[in-house]
Amino acid sequence: MKRLSAFVVALLTCGPLGAQPAPFDMTGERPIEDQAPAPKQQEQPSRNGPADGIEGEKIQLAPVKDAASYRRHIVPFASLSLTGEVDERAWSVYLTPAQAAAGGDLIFEYQNAVVIAPESSVLSVFVNGKLVGEGPVQAGEKPESRRYKLPSNLLRTGSNEIRFRVQQRHRTDCTVESTYELWTEIASGKAYIQFEGRDAARLTTLEDIQAVGVDASGRTRFNIVAPAFDQPSRTAALMRLAQGLALLGHMPAQSFDVRGDLPELGRAGELTVLAGTVAELQPLFPSLPGEASTTAVTALVESRPERAPILVLTGPDWSAVEGAIESITRVTDKPANVARDVIETGRWRLPQAPQVISGKRLPFSALGVSTTEFSGRRFRTAFAVAVPPDFYANAYGEATVLLDVGYTKAVRPGSRIDIYVNGSIASTVPLDSSGGLVRHLPINVTLRHFHPGANLIELEAVLLTDADRTCAPGTAASTEPRFALFDTSEFAMADFARIGRLPDLAAAAGSAYPFRSSAKPIALHVDRAETLSLSAAATFLARLAVAGGRPMAIETITSPIASADREALFVGAMPQIPKSVLTEAGIDLNSQISWGSSASSEVLADSRAAFDAWQTRLNGGTWRSHLRGLEDWVKDTFDISLNSLRLLPPDEAPFAPPDTATLLIAQSSNPDAGTTWTLVTSPTPEHLRDAVSTISDVRRWSQMSGHISIYEPVNDRISSIPAQHFEFVETRPPSLANYRLVLANWLSSNILVYAVLLVCLVVLLGLATASLLARLGRRQ
Amino acid sequence: MRKVFVLAVWAFISLCVVAIITLPVNLQTQLIASLLIVTLMAIIKLVDAGGRWRLIALAFGTAVVLRYVYWRTTGTLPPINQPENFIPGFLLYLAEMYSVMMLALSLFVVAMPLPPRPSRAATPGDYPKVDVFVPSYNEDASLLANTLAAAKGMDYPAEKLRVWLLDDGGTLQKRNSTNLVEAQRATARNLELQKLCTDLGVRYLTRDRNEHAKAGNLNNGMSHSDGDLIAVFDADHAPARDFLLETVGYFEDDPRLFLVQTPHFFLNPDPLERNLRTFEKMPSENEMFYGIIQRGLDKWNAAFFCGSAAVLRRKALEDTSGFSGKSITEDCETALALHGRGWNSVYVDRPLIAGLQPATFASFIGQRSRWAQGMMQILMFRFPLFKGGLTIPQRLCYMSSTLFWLFPFPRTIFLFAPLCYLFFDLQIFTASGGEFMGYTLAYLVVNLMMQNYLYGSFRWPWISELYEYVQTVHLLPAVVSVVLNPRKPTFKVTAKDESIQESRLSEIGRPFFVVFIVLFIALLVTAYRVYTEPYKADITMVVGGWNLLNLIMAGCALGVVSERGEKAASRRVKVSRRCEFSTGERWYPATIEDVSANGVRIQVYGLAKDDLSVEARTEIRFEPFAGDGAIEILPMAVRNVEVTGDITAVGCRFLPEVARHHSLVADLLFANSRQWSEFQHKRRGNPGLVRGTVWFLWLAFYQMGRGLIYFFRSLGSSRKEARGVR
Repeated sequence: MKRLSAFVVALLTCGPLGAQPAPFDMTGERPIEDQAPAPKQQEQPSRNGPADGIEGEKIQLAPVKDAASYRRHIVPFASLSLTGEVDERAWSVYLTPAQAAAGGDLIFEYQNAVVIAPESSVLSVFVNGKLVGEGPVQAGEKPESRRYKLPSNLLRTGSNEIRFRVQQRHRTDCTVESTYELWTEIASGKAYIQFEGRDAARLTTLEDIQAVGVDASGRTRFNIVAPAFDQPSRTAALMRLAQGLALLGHMPAQSFDVRGDLPELGRAGELTVLAGTVAELQPLFPSLPGEASTTAVTALVESRPERAPILVLTGPDWSAVEGAIESITRVTDKPANVARDVIETGRWRLPQAPQVISGKRLPFSALGVSTTEFSGRRFRTAFAVAVPPDFYANAYGEATVLLDVGYTKAVRPGSRIDIYVNGSIASTVPLDSSGGLVRHLPINVTLRHFHPGANLIELEAVLLTDADRTCAPGTAASTEPRFALFDTSEFAMADFARIGRLPDLAAAAGSAYPFRSSAKPIALHVDRAETLSLSAAATFLARLAVAGGRPMAIETITSPIASADREALFVGAMPQIPKSVLTEAGIDLNSQISWGSSASSEVLADSRAAFDAWQTRLNGGTWRSHLRGLEDWVKDTFDISLNSLRLLPPDEAPFAPPDTATLLIAQSSNPDAGTTWTLVTSPTPEHLRDAVSTISDVRRWSQMSGHISIYEPVNDRISSIPAQHFEFVETRPPSLANYRLVLANWLSSNILVYAVLLVCLVVLLGLATASLLARLGRRQ
Repeated sequence: MRKVFVLAVWAFISLCVVAIITLPVNLQTQLIASLLIVTLMAIIKLVDAGGRWRLIALAFGTAVVLRYVYWRTTGTLPPINQPENFIPGFLLYLAEMYSVMMLALSLFVVAMPLPPRPSRAATPGDYPKVDVFVPSYNEDASLLANTLAAAKGMDYPAEKLRVWLLDDGGTLQKRNSTNLVEAQRATARNLELQKLCTDLGVRYLTRDRNEHAKAGNLNNGMSHSDGDLIAVFDADHAPARDFLLETVGYFEDDPRLFLVQTPHFFLNPDPLERNLRTFEKMPSENEMFYGIIQRGLDKWNAAFFCGSAAVLRRKALEDTSGFSGKSITEDCETALALHGRGWNSVYVDRPLIAGLQPATFASFIGQRSRWAQGMMQILMFRFPLFKGGLTIPQRLCYMSSTLFWLFPFPRTIFLFAPLCYLFFDLQIFTASGGEFMGYTLAYLVVNLMMQNYLYGSFRWPWISELYEYVQTVHLLPAVVSVVLNPRKPTFKVTAKDESIQESRLSEIGRPFFVVFIVLFIALLVTAYRVYTEPYKADITMVVGGWNLLNLIMAGCALGVVSERGEKAASRRVKVSRRCEFSTGERWYPATIEDVSANGVRIQVYGLAKDDLSVEARTEIRFEPFAGDGAIEILPMAVRNVEVTGDITAVGCRFLPEVARHHSLVADLLFANSRQWSEFQHKRRGNPGLVRGTVWFLWLAFYQMGRGLIYFFRSLGSSRKEARGVR
């Protein structure tokens, strides 16, 4: 074990519950100028830090090579790609008071498509709405580095908005297709803010945990060091801790590593947390705060020699440690019964997504889309709207975008506006008469691709002009605006059906439903003796907490029966999962043995191929193929498949995960108690930890849906099996209007039921009319 | 009590149906539901199920229509901030909603029409006293002679039957007119008709002033007579012999009965039937009204007076001080007033009179303008929905009858709506291609199926649309004028005895060619736009298809306004009656093959052709039905002769010399009402939706060609005339 020395930087003693210092602002999006940062006395030792600096060579692995400065990665994605003629991306970065005060340089490296014409293409960077620098997009050959000075008065404590914007033009081509060849990529690992001085590296108060940041690939990691992790009383508190930390960090891809020993310290985008009694921690970390032996301590210390911040949660006994953990977690709590106005996405996408819980009209100005003039051929802009977990309008619902646009005479008929929801096309409208100012042009957008949580709605205008058709030299770069989008446009959501469904992994992913609002603690079944599974459970629960916006109470169970009437979460490698859970979740019991052994997968693939071959062979030239052709046509034209035409949902065959999958998440409703069992499993504990950590990235996490979702690393995709049977759970006071919409959605997904119901009712009506008419008027 | 229960159950089920229909389900669901319903309706129709199945089929149709209405209302109106789209879009919406409302009203009326009543002959020996009124304004003496003779010849005790000619053409006001020619003509008419009446044993009655037109004339007749019942026949409506026996009996059953109405059967085709040559094979236009609608109205005790071929109770008429004359359709107005006072009506579904209808397109339009304007006046003066004393079903029935005549407005809108898009690129109906299939197409198909189901054997597919279209062009201004100036229209007598000697374009046919050309240009624009704007070809095709439908209708209408010349002055009625034929020397056995108002065609046995020369005077003798068994002689002149073997077919023209001869002609022509029913039944046959549509397409194509040929020919002849003048 490494020899460590530590230095107490900040210290927040925490006695019994309630002795917590002033809760800090969790919205995090407001500048936190008014809060009291570290007291002066605490600055003293920190300044001494570098002076005491020993073993400078050891800092090799730290993100900072330069002792006089500190670099913080700022791009919270694996890479940032800006495509098309105009594109921008904005997010916020939390800065500690020291970082904000220090000021520094924003440095990044970018590369772009060779076809981009540098003279008419610009890459601009804004911080807090202010342009800090811009320049031509000219790194077609090799990456180019840019460095912009960030004045200290520009940065502020708390969230700082960073925005990259490009305007790109093709060198030679004027077609709409050519705009797809335009890209600029900013490498995450090489985009950072370089702060002056070492103070910036230091985390001094609990709020500063928000500044945990990201590593070179845009990920964040919390190491929870709990030497006695395998003791039964510990698990629940550690899970609470993970949730609290996740909510503080609120980064797009956070993973947790629960372990008994100290990890390598000082890596970017990582925070190590020590959680244990003084006695447990002492061997690992000798220089614990002195009071720890008498009272609960929550403190940020700096490790020696890495000078990495370490959060210490300790006390004389475990209950004191739990108190310390709660002091972190409790501040992130929010009432479970109040719907959120906004789904926080600030750390990876700004503006954040307002949550729409019933009929509402949102002007574009409130959605962060500003009035824009455009001179190119493919205009694209985006905004986000969130819906609650009991959103149930996928099948029937439509929202309306009321568009205020103007376009010049140059825009030819045939131009159009497309609207995409979460990447799927949802509507397309032609721009008709040439030239015009359209006020509130209604565009119906199907709600089909909406899922609980934040949804990305992209608006694309494809503009055709004669000038582009001829494409005389230089016209590609014309700056004459031909299209304008006004921020008075609106996104109008009609009242939609709201009812909770179990199981529904999309609701779990989007809003931690039904865990978030569960009145009882969540029953967690995990192999506590094994850090990999514990880490996976922590990562999964932490991700749920971020989705739900609040931490959830946890209790551990050792047997599925003990879950009783609580929401239950089973995390573990397949062999460790109780059979009853697999049966309940609809998983083929054979897969408990076979999953992960490659032999069976080949057999499967072979038989599937053979079946397909036979099918093709049989279909050749028979009436069957005509029928199939008809079916395909109906499917293509009207989106009706034979599968959707059944009166009763098909029985769900037990599911055997393919060998290509490394993670399976399944949910089933517990019919007796109206609760759910959620299973998170992999062939091995290693797979479990890695895969859960992979899917906790917001990009993949939101793909989860249905009854079973599996993750396949081969194509980096989550695929889902929709729930055929589900239970409805009322989430609102009973109202006829809502039932009507719920019924509309259910019938829209059970097409034939509607038709048969209508026919039956109409036959009844006919009979009733006949009997009525026989009694009314004259008879003969 | 049970009735209330059934009503409550019905209301509850209706509520459920409405609830499920107004669910905002998605397009796929709508597509499948409408497909299923259309299929089920088609099956019910194919197996021709009746009774309850009929109402189930109608309920199916209603469901699809209501789905359409729901969608149309909630999802297709253009945004209000685009007035150039919204205003025409909303007008189109209103027009469609009017059509749906009329469909609802007519469903109510004809949901379960009364089956034809069994014959209710009057009790012998207990016959009430009947006055027969034949009001006349300007009809010829010969026409009147047939009618009066037929009326006089009805089987009824002579002492209980009095026939009146109510002449408004020979009033004192007319005879003393300042216009000398008119005065002379009126005086001559007065004398001529007086003589005719004396000969026929009919009362002649005229009055001082032509006040309140037909209603005033009838009231004048009432004040001079005292019969218990009043039968009214138009001057050209000759009753069959059993008319009174088949109708007066109902008055015994119900002391509150004020009206027994019978259908109008026409011996001649209307201009559409004549010009399209459909008279012999397709049911007449009015058969839908008399065959179904009046029976439906009868169920709700709302059968109304149609001006002729009806018997009314004097006591009831006295209750409302006679016939009402505020509107120019006094018949319906009178019935409305009497229904409002709690009197009942009965409809007898059996043709008991035969008459003439307008022969030329212009007089046809004239007649329809009067009906439309009169019904509008009733709507405005007596708004039936809120008229006291009526039952709710009666209110709905009268609303249905009067509102029907607003059809020129929606027709006009349907005609021009597609042009808004094709010519001006206005988006007045926001829907995608899929929605169009799921909602609009289903609605159209179901609409046609319901029409065919309800009226199939009385009205062939698309014929209603054709009739409405050909009337719309001229009725629209008429209806607009009556709406603007409700008291202006005056009663105009429809000319019915015109004949068309040679083929020509109707004098009011021009607008149809203008409309046709505009729609044809729109067709070209459709093709052009599909080619040049492929990105919205689907919408263009849908709108263009709609325009094509209008164009087909307009093309067919060209044939309607191209009047065919006709040799026979009046229509022949097939009869088969033994008689004897004489050229003056001997009597040959013969059979009367057909009769018209002017002559007969006879098959004579054993007659040599040489014995006959054209215009030679001949005679037939036969035993009239209305007589004492004596054989009587009718003089005629030969028109043509045709020999086939032993049989010689001889066409003759009547040469009536005395009044009795008119009675004999009437006896031949009108004596047997059964032959009219047989003729009607022969035409009644439902070709079905598909066959009917194909037939109509062919007809429209053929008639469009004929219309265009007439048009160019008329251009040629007018050029020739112009040259001649020069």
